[in-house]
Amino acid sequence: MGPALAIEETRGGHLDLISQRTSAEPMFKRILVANRGEIALRILRACREMGIETVAVFSEADRGAAYLELADEAYCIGPAKASESYLRIDRVISAAEIGNVQAIHPGYGFLAENAHFAEVCRSCDIEFIGPPHEAMALVGDKNAARQLARQVGVPTVPGSEGLVNDPEEALAVARKIGYPVLVKAAAGGGGRGMRVALDDAALRAALKQAENEADAAFGSGELYLEKYIEHPRHVEVQVLGDRYGNVVHLFERDCTMQRRHQKLIEESPAPRLPDKTRQAICESAVRLIKAAGYYNAGTVEFIVDRHGNFYFIEVNARIQVEHPVTEMVTGIDLIKAQIRVAAGERLPFTQEDIRSQGAAIECRINAEDPAKGFRPSPGTIQRFIAPGGFGVRFDTHVYAGYTVTPYYDSMIGKLIVHQPTREETIATMQRALAELRIEGVPTTVPLLREILEHPAFLEARVDTTFVERTWLS
Amino acid sequence: MAEGPSNPEVFDVDRIRRFVELMQEFGLTEINLRHGDERIQLRRGFEGPVCTGISASGPPAAALPAVPTISAQAAVPAAPRGAAQEEEKHIVLIKSPMVGTFYSAPDPDSPPYVKVGDVVGPETTVCIVEAMKVFNQIPAEVSGRIVAVLVENGAPVEFGQPLFKVDTRP
Repeated sequence: MGPALAIEETRGGHLDLISQRTSAEPMFKRILVANRGEIALRILRACREMGIETVAVFSEADRGAAYLELADEAYCIGPAKASESYLRIDRVISAAEIGNVQAIHPGYGFLAENAHFAEVCRSCDIEFIGPPHEAMALVGDKNAARQLARQVGVPTVPGSEGLVNDPEEALAVARKIGYPVLVKAAAGGGGRGMRVALDDAALRAALKQAENEADAAFGSGELYLEKYIEHPRHVEVQVLGDRYGNVVHLFERDCTMQRRHQKLIEESPAPRLPDKTRQAICESAVRLIKAAGYYNAGTVEFIVDRHGNFYFIEVNARIQVEHPVTEMVTGIDLIKAQIRVAAGERLPFTQEDIRSQGAAIECRINAEDPAKGFRPSPGTIQRFIAPGGFGVRFDTHVYAGYTVTPYYDSMIGKLIVHQPTREETIATMQRALAELRIEGVPTTVPLLREILEHPAFLEARVDTTFVERTWLS
Repeated sequence: MAEGPSNPEVFDVDRIRRFVELMQEFGLTEINLRHGDERIQLRRGFEGPVCTGISASGPPAAALPAVPTISAQAAVPAAPRGAAQEEEKHIVLIKSPMVGTFYSAPDPDSPPYVKVGDVVGPETTVCIVEAMKVFNQIPAEVSGRIVAVLVENGAPVEFGQPLFKVDTRP
């Protein structure tokens, strides 16, 4: 008795994927959104559309934010500091209890990849909208994830088979795979805790430093080695699985435009990627996710070298900032899909049903001052005009009069454009950025406009160091 | 709807009460209304809704507690409002240090820990906030006399929510 599924082609050619519920799978009546800002707003919107009641939580710094008004109930869970509010598992769970929710959506960041939090939720009989905590813990261990990848034939960057336990072992590995090498923290992630070494002497020094830094930052000094891939492109695959073992990919996103490992621009499809490579990368991602026993949404990250070879890097066991890029090209609402999977529904589509149409680009808008080394620049937004028009989507929680505080990350919005071709998408994005008015805080809009006009970006001849090299920051 | 400068209808208690309800319903922190020379400003902070009315003429109104009540003339120039704030300095709020359910008594059969008029010290247990099946006794952390109980027994409370008003004058 599987659920019937209905797929319709809409006029725009996108799939309109409707899941048929059976009475055996009641949808959640109420969900707590354990996050803030634009992603909290995103989740509140999805719940509203699905007829699900919502409970929001906020710190004292976010009291009065307009998006909270969309929730049915909202509770203050602490002072401004994240460690005393959004990261306080006890307070989030308490709010879930007094708010009478059946599930919690963690968004991204904060507790989204905290396997302990996922476990606590489930032990309190509250569904965690995300992967099972065992799979989360498995893929969260970078070294274990690499080993799993190797087991299922997913290419990994040549490197140490596991952890390097002493300098002599590290040197032997480095000589085998060839310099330059990257020393990485097993407990690290998001581009942190890495050091490049060009020769034996540099490697000895790097190992010592990396161990100390990793211990301090992540609580574990365990290290492993990878070959350092020069001029890489960052290509990641959106995956989605249900509890019944069905896993699909929703194609890839190219996130090569980064500054200090922070993404600025993301797009789909990845430009100048041969179809065979795209297919291989996407299928590898699905294979890995299945092997990890992972369900709900996730992203598998790869780097692609100049010759088109791709290598697995890590799994992000959460919904990501740039998920709208995938939503635009596939026509699938990922937040709703997450909620449905968590409620026990089967995926209403097979891999063959999922198509990618057109080209989508997202620009992250940050309250950072380009004139001051992109220092986060809090302040009150005086004037705010959002761009619009055909193919333009602006996901933001800010508005005129909103005060950007210094306590959280500086992203204030995501501008997403979707058109039939990459050229048209870029032209529309340039137009939309020119229309956008945010006054009162400095933003990264001027830099984004320059990037979008740069020939290297237009021709997609870039790598992850491009922004830093070109804008010397 | 023509109204003169000192028309008491502008500061109708029912209308004010409705504004306060609207603020609570929608989680607003401030409403500013102007009609001619008259203005109402309602601001909601940790002390609960505060209502001030200002007019070009008219005698001062009384200081306002959590439930706003306004005298017939309903106008407050700056100085008397300052006096009201002076008095407020002696009043300290006991706020919830956690998220959970407020209980005024140790169990349903016992009398409440404290009631209005009771004297408390820093170690005095004033209530229980229950979270995740753990019943946490909340200490007063101030010395003084309970002048108001702000939460109903069994009500949910959030972090920082005012629970009691304490007059700290000796």
